[in-house]
Amino acid sequence: MTGITTHLLDIATGRPLAGVQVELYDVATNPPTLLNKTRTNPDGRTDAPMLPAAAARTGQFELRFHVGEYFKSAEALSDIVPVRFAIFDAAQHYHVPMLCAPWFFSTYRGS
Amino acid sequence: MANDDLLQPERRQFALSGLALGAAALLPAAASAQTATPAPAQGASPVVQAGLSPRLTVHAIDIYNGSAGAGLRIDFSKQEGDGYKLIRTVTTNATGRSEEPLLIGESYQSGDYELLMHFDEYFARKEAKLPTPPFLSKVPIRIRIVDISQRIHLPIQFGPWSYTYSRGS
Repeated sequence: MTGITTHLLDIATGRPLAGVQVELYDVATNPPTLLNKTRTNPDGRTDAPMLPAAAARTGQFELRFHVGEYFKSAEALSDIVPVRFAIFDAAQHYHVPMLCAPWFFSTYRGS
Repeated sequence: MANDDLLQPERRQFALSGLALGAAALLPAAASAQTATPAPAQGASPVVQAGLSPRLTVHAIDIYNGSAGAGLRIDFSKQEGDGYKLIRTVTTNATGRSEEPLLIGESYQSGDYELLMHFDEYFARKEAKLPTPPFLSKVPIRIRIVDISQRIHLPIQFGPWSYTYSRGS
């Protein structure tokens, strides 16, 4: 499998973040180009890959997680959380999860 | 860095009274650090910021090398209109902190801010073996300051393949 997938988890509750808007942008263009916009399913994933295998290519991408609307906490540290990363080899799969709480955000290249 | 600069008068007084009582555990850590084996890019002691006036401070930790994220360039900007306007660029010191708070006093205003982290430059200097371009290059961290009566400390743990930021203390 190739392309970009994600997984959004709430580390304060130990549950997936469901129904949160997630976008994927190509940030090599100015302004960035919106490639995909969807919401997480009950498992905290997206029903389809953010970047499908058929569209896999090298480049600079950015996922944006609209967690502010989910946390509904006036003092949350972040509202829309960007994760900017490169696909350096289109033959590889890029799983980029976001583990978060209103005051904690963590991402990594997953598997 | 002189710890006294970061201590409120009450705290300093507390520490001094501890010394008067001969409580060795309350000796400033910096004093005992003289005998410790020096480690590369490590702070001499933890920095206590409890009770300080409202401000935004940052601390970068390199979890790839197990060291302070020293010499990391950060472009610090504030959201204005559709974009972010650069306030200034800082480079973290030997302890992974900026020499001065990113915001303090009059400059500590509510709003949306961005820290653009130059992870590519940092790991290139460390000669980390990474793909070209690396997975993480120039990475934006965006935070919101709502209540300017409260201090925000922002620790950032980073490696070539991951990063974490949180509200610290």
